[in-house]
Amino acid sequence: MGAVLSRLVRAEWTKLLTTRVWIGLLLGSCVLVGAFAALFTAFAGNADSGIAPVGTTAYEELALAVSANATILFIVLGIIGTTQEYRHRTATPTFLGSPHRGRVVVAKLVAYALAAIPMALVVIAVDVLVVSVYAGAKGAAPSLAGDNLRVLGGAWAALVIYTVIGVGVGALMRNQVGAIVGSLVYFFVVEGIISSIPATQGAYKWLPGGALEAMTATFNQADLLSPWQGGLLLLGYGLAAAVLGTLFAVRRDVV
Amino acid sequence: MALGLITPDRGTTTFNGAPYAALPEPIRNVGAVLETAFHPARSGRNHLRVYCRAAGLPVSRADEVLDQVGLGPAGGRKAGGYSLGMRQRLGLATALLGDPGVLVLDEPANGLDPEGIQWLRGFLRHLAHDQGRTVLVSSHLLSEVEQTADRVVIVGAGRLVRQGSLAELRSGTAGSVLVRSPQAAALADLLRTPTSTVAATDDHPDGLTVTGLPVEEVGRRAFAGGIELHELRAHTSGLEEVYFRLTAGSEQYAAAPAGTPTTTGQGAS
Repeated sequence: MGAVLSRLVRAEWTKLLTTRVWIGLLLGSCVLVGAFAALFTAFAGNADSGIAPVGTTAYEELALAVSANATILFIVLGIIGTTQEYRHRTATPTFLGSPHRGRVVVAKLVAYALAAIPMALVVIAVDVLVVSVYAGAKGAAPSLAGDNLRVLGGAWAALVIYTVIGVGVGALMRNQVGAIVGSLVYFFVVEGIISSIPATQGAYKWLPGGALEAMTATFNQADLLSPWQGGLLLLGYGLAAAVLGTLFAVRRDVV
Repeated sequence: MALGLITPDRGTTTFNGAPYAALPEPIRNVGAVLETAFHPARSGRNHLRVYCRAAGLPVSRADEVLDQVGLGPAGGRKAGGYSLGMRQRLGLATALLGDPGVLVLDEPANGLDPEGIQWLRGFLRHLAHDQGRTVLVSSHLLSEVEQTADRVVIVGAGRLVRQGSLAELRSGTAGSVLVRSPQAAALADLLRTPTSTVAATDDHPDGLTVTGLPVEEVGRRAFAGGIELHELRAHTSGLEEVYFRLTAGSEQYAAAPAGTPTTTGQGAS
């Protein structure tokens, strides 16, 4: 089983590295994060922006947490990882090679989690680079220790966990466009509504968006879980989607 | 269904005594091409490497099977740019990766040009006869099946209609002889015996269809009678004829052309 799984994980990496999806999403993430980091630094200390000046803890934690904004692209990475099998009908040869479909899903979860670790590090590095250079030029580069390091670690873990969630959501939905659009709508519309309506605000901390905020953000301290709890909750969502996907969607007939 | 992709209502399929999913290394035992499935942005070679890795095969197998199906030079190109025939070849290469003893091919001749079809015919025969693999081909192209298969299984509306070698299936239909002569009437007299029948053919005014006499006997009688012949050939009924004879009278086939029954040809094992 272990040997078979490691073969399947390697096959997933080959699949990932032989198309350009990962490059596009990684570049997109770097540009997004770099731009946000530069923007926040540019307006740091500006009275109208509401961003604390360079050198303060509030600014540093905000600027170092922008990597977490790339979670949406990392969830897309995971979604594409699973749904491409259905979109391009490669599910047929994949399941012929491994008739135990649960193993394929496990291999994808492992392969994408491990692949997301260095990719997320690159994104974090871009964030740190932009913030260090720009904030340094404006007076004070943030130290990479203590709470700042914790914020970076949280963002890094969030990127990896969101990739796992993507794999799970993809396994559950099978339809690539549907899964991506559904995720975008959920994170940008549904959670926004839930967190803004007083009656449902209490539930927000238990949702993926709330858990993500718990892991990374330090501002807007609403009622949130601790970072560890948030991380575990997110991981739980990802694995639950993968298990449900394996039980109900992946097992379905492939024609 | 046989390969575990679709769950059957009931029944089982086994390969060398085990269901597909229970085979320890499925693609080393059974190679299957069901449809040409690959990521369009991935090269043919990388497509094959993915399944090498999944099966624990050395990635060099990818190049070996590419050469085997004649795709070697195109291996580095994106599979999305392949022609239909190249896609079929890539599918076949995927099935051959594990060097399996059994090959299951669904409509492998679909979309192939005449050269491709001829190549496929030779290649399948080579795999079955020279390398001793079992090659199971499903096809609607009866004439194609006739030219490649050793044994035929006719399945109609999900039920087994008939199976056997081509010769066995044909045995029910008596062979006939087609003969054409400007002196057709005189020839007909010479060919009439108590056990033979002679009839005018539909397509030629000077043609006769003879049953009950071997082709040699028809020729001998014409020669003895000094009759000029323009054509003389033995006619064996094709698979298509056999097929229609076997399924004739079954209203289901007549009424539902959409659910066309499949014919399965099976190679030497």
